[in-house]
Amino acid sequence: MSGRTSAAVGDSADAATGGGTGTVTGLDREKLFAARLHAVRVRPYLATALFALHVVESRRVPTMAVDRHWRCYVSPGFVARTPVEELAGVWVHEVSHLLRNHHGRGDRVVRERGLTRAGERLRINIAADCEINDDVYGDGLVQPGGVVLPKTLGLPAGDLMEDYLRQFRLGSWLPDAAAWLDCGSGADGLERDWDLGPDGAHGLSEQEQDAVRFRVAQGITGAPGSTPRGWRRWAEEAFHPPQPWRQLLGAALRSAASGAGAAQDHSFGRPSRRQVALPGTVLPSLRRRPPRVSVIIDTSGSVSDAELGSALLEVAAISRAVGGGRDLVRVLPCDASAGVVHSLCRVEGIPLLGGGGTDLRTGFATALRVPPRPDVIVVLTDGQTPWPVRPPCRTVVGLFSRPGPARPVNEENPDYTPKGPPDWARVVRIG
Amino acid sequence: MPLAPHAAPAPSAPAPSAAAPSAAAPCPTPSARRLDVAADLLALLRDTTTEPRTNPQLEALTLAVAADLPVLLWGEPGIGKTAALTQLAESLDLPLTTVIASVHEPSDFSGLPVLGDDPAEQGVPLAPPDWAVRLVRAGRGLLFLDELSTAGPAVQAALLRLVLERRIGSLRLPPEVRIVSAANPRASAADGWDLSAPLANRFVHLPWTHDHEVVVRGLGGTWPRATLPRLDPDKLPEAVDVARRAVCGLLTARPALVHRLPGNESLRGGAWPSPRSWDMALSLIAFATAAGSSRDVLALLVRGTVGDGPGLELLACLDRMDLPDPELLLADPRNAELPERGDRRQAALEGVVEAVKSRPDRARWDAAWTLLVRALETGAPDLVVVPATTLAALRQEEWDVPAAIERLAGAVSLSRRTDRSVARATAAGGAGTGAGR
Repeated sequence: MSGRTSAAVGDSADAATGGGTGTVTGLDREKLFAARLHAVRVRPYLATALFALHVVESRRVPTMAVDRHWRCYVSPGFVARTPVEELAGVWVHEVSHLLRNHHGRGDRVVRERGLTRAGERLRINIAADCEINDDVYGDGLVQPGGVVLPKTLGLPAGDLMEDYLRQFRLGSWLPDAAAWLDCGSGADGLERDWDLGPDGAHGLSEQEQDAVRFRVAQGITGAPGSTPRGWRRWAEEAFHPPQPWRQLLGAALRSAASGAGAAQDHSFGRPSRRQVALPGTVLPSLRRRPPRVSVIIDTSGSVSDAELGSALLEVAAISRAVGGGRDLVRVLPCDASAGVVHSLCRVEGIPLLGGGGTDLRTGFATALRVPPRPDVIVVLTDGQTPWPVRPPCRTVVGLFSRPGPARPVNEENPDYTPKGPPDWARVVRIG
Repeated sequence: MPLAPHAAPAPSAPAPSAAAPSAAAPCPTPSARRLDVAADLLALLRDTTTEPRTNPQLEALTLAVAADLPVLLWGEPGIGKTAALTQLAESLDLPLTTVIASVHEPSDFSGLPVLGDDPAEQGVPLAPPDWAVRLVRAGRGLLFLDELSTAGPAVQAALLRLVLERRIGSLRLPPEVRIVSAANPRASAADGWDLSAPLANRFVHLPWTHDHEVVVRGLGGTWPRATLPRLDPDKLPEAVDVARRAVCGLLTARPALVHRLPGNESLRGGAWPSPRSWDMALSLIAFATAAGSSRDVLALLVRGTVGDGPGLELLACLDRMDLPDPELLLADPRNAELPERGDRRQAALEGVVEAVKSRPDRARWDAAWTLLVRALETGAPDLVVVPATTLAALRQEEWDVPAAIERLAGAVSLSRRTDRSVARATAAGGAGTGAGR
């Protein structure tokens, strides 16, 4: 096997000009696998996924491509003319498409946004390449020539495929990179004519793919030290994709407001209208008591008006959907001292005063003191506050996320870090 | 009946357009004839065929129902949950009773209090609804509780008793009655309620999705026909053994997985691990093993019972159990059957090297080299490099290099080539060396 290497290199010039047809020798497997070993050495956390790929020699593939069943199609000519260290980068690039489920996400985007025009799948492939290429190379991995970077398109690094897809059109820069842009159906979900399809041999079922992804994600979260940020984010979200906060806030508020004892429920307290038809039988009737919701808003300097506005509107809409009218939602701006309780009818005119430190405990006290007592308290805050020790009533906390290290909240005592929201509250991260 | 108003004007004004199709088949009453034509058209529309097709969802549902565990199907409205239940009922030869939970009151499930002559003396009986009485009288059946998540909290509380204790008022459902429920996921049920964590923990959660190809072929006239799993009586003891080894093996190594309440709002209402759900997972593994089901079916069941993370760890555990036993491989290295898939093959080879390391002796060391040569001859060479390096480090002074090692030259040159390439890449990048070097 090793003796053939030099011959293959000698053929590589023909292969490059001949476009992979004609008299190319067979696939130089040793070179290909040496490159895979290189990739495994410098990215040990991807080993399971790299080894799980099944290599298929194909002369119709421009370079290397993957399908959605985790087969890797390799052009012998491309292997012959590419140095081992660049091939290692291609291996990692291709396996990234599969690990990040670009084919499934591509299908979803096509369905949701109706991207059925010709060329849209190519755009998906480019956007997926951008998502991968911005932080996959370096640190022992050479960036292959002609790859598409977000920079190439004048876009910021670190976004997801779905975001890139909104930000560019196909343009004149395309021809240079075109050879690189066919990563196969594993990258964009469109079947290629070289694909072996779902019935071909050595494919991985969806559950097997999930198992491989899970093992890779576990390896990354287990030893996060040297892993790039993009991979860490992927590992955290691989099996628990973040949900839109509106849905989560709605679900939390609904379940807090509709638990037994609050809101609409059945009761034997008043006879049912069906009662007359069934003498001798006691029927319950439906009794409706819409929940009273008090919203405590953290008006300390750290929360922006735009954030507060969107969250407040959301709470109002949700509580109306739960069944409460506008007059059942009360709003209470609060920093270190609680202000006046407002009814939601005047939401436009509620003065969101404040700006100092926060102590939401006074907000809780005021909300509970003013009759009628609320069924649910919703707190919109960034969490930098002391909390009541015991649950005063059903509580939903909408927590504005703050990237980076926590800011010092107490200048006299910089070591003081406030505790997060308490266990007894339902917490939803907003933004 | 609904056609009657349309049919009524026909005798008074025999329109020429209506007369044209009737010329072929003269008939005394036009209104009845029209219905006949409609019936013909309906018959043509319903004349569909079936084709065999594997359906992991349906197979998983069948196994969970066979294991007598409460199943909760999560699916968008109109996706064919009822059709699947109909097929399941047919194949299990059980009559199907469908109850839409959201249009009932709690008393329909907990029983209506009926006042007798002397309530203080005789008590107040709780009368069950008619479908429950019929179900108990039949003694067997499939009870399908639809729209669980859109029923109010009080109805859900009453259903809990029905699903888990199998009681409706004073009636008790016979053991041959199996219960399946369905709910709409949170995203599509805008006014739905979430399942509480205790309730969610009692169900096997199965996501129910449609397959685009199946729907298109079905509307074209060919619906799928799934062959449902049958339990193999000879495999029962082995199935229990596999299930117990897998679950106990995992929970011994990962005590934190035994009980973990869902901490985050997005995971509420789904499957989570607890001793109860691990017990359910154990039964499901046994049933899937006895039925010879594929790993896909088992994955659906296990992930729907203990949640995604713990479920995938359990499946990884089962995967390791599926790897060939290192001792058997060492006993006959020349004819060893190594796994085909690269990552599994690497895991098997590493297992062999570990086995040699744990009990090193000359014969086992030599056998391991033979095995590595076989691996090199039958698969990708890069898989052999790391196990070979580890194995070489195990050599003791008095052991001679075996002849087999000559044949590993390919792996050695591959490894050197990789070394050079990594060195070039590091030099080119200027950054520090990657991990593992």
